[in-house]
Amino acid sequence: MKKSFFLTQSILILALAGCTGQPPASNSSEQTEQQTWEEIRQTAAGETVRMYMWGGDEGINQYMDEWVKPRLKEEYDVTLERIPLNTNEIIQKLETEKRAGQQDGTIDLIWMNGENFKRAKESSLLHGPFTEQIPNYQSYYDTESLDFTYDFGTETEGFEAPWGKVQFVFHYDSSKISNPPSTLEELQKWTRENPGKFTYPAAGDFTGDAFIRHVLYGKASSLEQLLDEPFSMNLIEEESEDVWRYLNEMEPDLWRSGETYPSSLTELDRLYSQGEIWMTMGYNEARAEVLVEDGIFPETTESFILEEPGSIGNTHFLSIPFNSPNKEAAMAAIDFMLAPDAQSAKLSPEYWGENTPIDLTALSSEQKEPFEKIDRGKTVLDQQTLNDAFLPEIDAAYVPWLQEKWIDEVASQ
Amino acid sequence: MKKPVFYLLSSLLFLLPALMLAVKSFTPVWKWGEPLSFDWTLRGWEVFLMDSRIYEALLLSILIALTVTFLNLFVGILAGKALSHSDFKGKGLLETFLLLPLFIPTMAAALGLHITMIRLGLANQWLGVVIVHLVPTIPYTIKVMKAGYDRVGSGIIEQAKVLGGGSFHVFRSIELPLLMPSVRSAVFLTVTISMSQYVLTAVIGGGNVITLPIIYYPFLQSVNDTVMAAFSIAFALLPVIAVAVVELLSKLLTYKGTLVNRGVT
Repeated sequence: MKKSFFLTQSILILALAGCTGQPPASNSSEQTEQQTWEEIRQTAAGETVRMYMWGGDEGINQYMDEWVKPRLKEEYDVTLERIPLNTNEIIQKLETEKRAGQQDGTIDLIWMNGENFKRAKESSLLHGPFTEQIPNYQSYYDTESLDFTYDFGTETEGFEAPWGKVQFVFHYDSSKISNPPSTLEELQKWTRENPGKFTYPAAGDFTGDAFIRHVLYGKASSLEQLLDEPFSMNLIEEESEDVWRYLNEMEPDLWRSGETYPSSLTELDRLYSQGEIWMTMGYNEARAEVLVEDGIFPETTESFILEEPGSIGNTHFLSIPFNSPNKEAAMAAIDFMLAPDAQSAKLSPEYWGENTPIDLTALSSEQKEPFEKIDRGKTVLDQQTLNDAFLPEIDAAYVPWLQEKWIDEVASQ
Repeated sequence: MKKPVFYLLSSLLFLLPALMLAVKSFTPVWKWGEPLSFDWTLRGWEVFLMDSRIYEALLLSILIALTVTFLNLFVGILAGKALSHSDFKGKGLLETFLLLPLFIPTMAAALGLHITMIRLGLANQWLGVVIVHLVPTIPYTIKVMKAGYDRVGSGIIEQAKVLGGGSFHVFRSIELPLLMPSVRSAVFLTVTISMSQYVLTAVIGGGNVITLPIIYYPFLQSVNDTVMAAFSIAFALLPVIAVAVVELLSKLLTYKGTLVNRGVT
C-alpha cells in the first residue's frame, strides 16, 4: 500500500506538466494607431522596454548597454532591458503564447529579418503597422526604398522598422595574397593555383548559403527575373545547373580537396585564423575589424568583394510583438534607435561598426558630419565600392531549396 | 603497479586538458605552428564578467539546480526503493514508462509544456523552470537510486526494522549513509543537466529567468578561444559547488557515528 503510494507520487510529479488550469484573463491589446506621437511619448515615459535579441556579440551588447540604455532613459525616460535569447526561441515563444491566448506577454521589442520575419508575420505575431508613426523613420529614411518595403521577398507593410544593414564581403590575408580575385572565374582560377587554401561553409549555414547565392547570381541568365518574381521551381531548376557545375569544378581544389566542408562560419573563421586557409567571408562588411584587434585574425587581413556578380546585402529590422505590454515605450525606443546620432554611434568601430540604413541625403550637414568623420577601419571597404556592388536578396523560399539541392549535387558527388 | 598507470592516465586524459583550458583562458589565441608565447591576457574573463547580470545568473542557476536536485532526490529515493525492493505486476512496464521523458526531443517537449505552464501561470517564473528541469533529470535519478538500493539490498533494512527502528530513523542511520555514492552521482548528473538546459529554460523562463546558459550559449558561436575557455571553466565549477553543498547537507542529516563510521559498509 505504502509502496504504491511512493510510486504514484513520483508519477504525479512527472505528470504535473499534463495538468490543465484556467487560462489567465486577457487584457485587450491597446491601440496605438490612433494616438499622436505626443500621446505615445507621454504614455511611454517611465515605462520599461524589454528587448529580446541574440546576445553572442560583445560589441553589440556593449552598444546596447553602454550607449543606448543611458541615453534612451535620459531622452524618453524609458528604461531598456536587454534579454539575450536566440531569435528562433523568441518566435517560438510568441507562437505558443498566441496559441494559448496570452495577451500580456513579456517581450516589447525584437530584432530580426528574413525567414523569422516571414514566420512572425504569417502567424500574426506582430503589432502594427506602426512605422508611419515613428518620426525619425519618416524624416530620415527613404520609406519608399525596396530595401525597407521588402525583407527577403516578404512585404514589410509597416510591421518592422529598419535598424541596420550589412553586406557580404570576403576577407583575405594580404601578406599571402596580393591581388584578390574580383570575379567568380578569377576565384576559380585562384583556387586552382592555390589548392587547399579556399573553402566555404556547407549549405545550411547562414554564410554558406549566402556564398552559394552569390554563385547563383553570377551564373543565372536572368537575374532580374529571379529577383523580381516570387519562388518558381522551374526557374530555379534551370538557373541552378551552372551553379552546381561551377562548385563541382572547384571542389578538388578546396580545403581538404572538398571531401568535407566547414559546418559553420565559426569553423571557417577558425581555419582562417590558424592560417590553414587564406580567405574567409561573411555578412557585415566590418566584422573583421574587431577580430583583428583581438588578435584572432592576422593583422594583414583585408576585404574584397566580387565585382562580378556583386555583393548581396540585407537589412535587419525592429518589431513589436502582438502582446507587448508596453507598445508605446517600444515605439519610443525604436524612434530613438533610428535617430541619426544613435545610428552614427552604431557605425563607429568602437562598438558595433555596422552600417546604417539611414538616408544620408535627408540629413542636415551638421547631422551628416559624424557619419563622414567615422573611420570604419582598414579592413572595411569604402562605402562607394560597397554601394556599387550592392545586390538585394532573392525570395526566402529559395534558401531551403538551394540547401537541399547542394547536398545532392555537390556534397554527395 | 596499478597505481602509477592510474595516475599517468588520469593526468594525461583529465588533468592536462583541464590545465590547458585554464591556461587558454588567460592567453590570446595561439596559431598552430607558432612558437609558444605567454602574453597573459584578462580579456576572456573581462568578457565573461562584462554582463552585469552574470552574478545574479550564477546565483539563480545554482538555486534552480539545487531545488531541482532536492526534488529529484525526494522522488528518486522513494521510487528507486520501490522499484528495487518490491515486486508487483507491471513493474517492468512502469520502469520503462519512467524512462520515457528521455526519448522525447527537447524542443517537442518544450512546446507542449509551455502551453501548460502558461495556463498554470508558471511560465516566465523560476518555479516553472524548476519543474521543467525535472523532465530530463528525474529518469536518471530514479535509475541511479534503484541501482543504489539494489546494491544495499533489503536485508539490512529489514534487520533494523526488526530491532524496532522507525522508518525515518532507519533511513537516516542506515539507508542514507549506504546510499551516499548513488546520491553523489545523482546530484552531479542532475546539477550538470539542469545547468546546461538552454532551450527549456529559454522557452519556459521566457527571458524572465536569466540563468548562466542564457548568457553563455550565444557565445558558443565565437571564434575567440580565450573567451570560450573562460566561460567553460566558470561553467564547469558550478556542479562542483553544488555537489559540495549537497555533501554538507547530507553530513548534517546523517547521524554521527553511524555504521559506516564504525567501519561497516
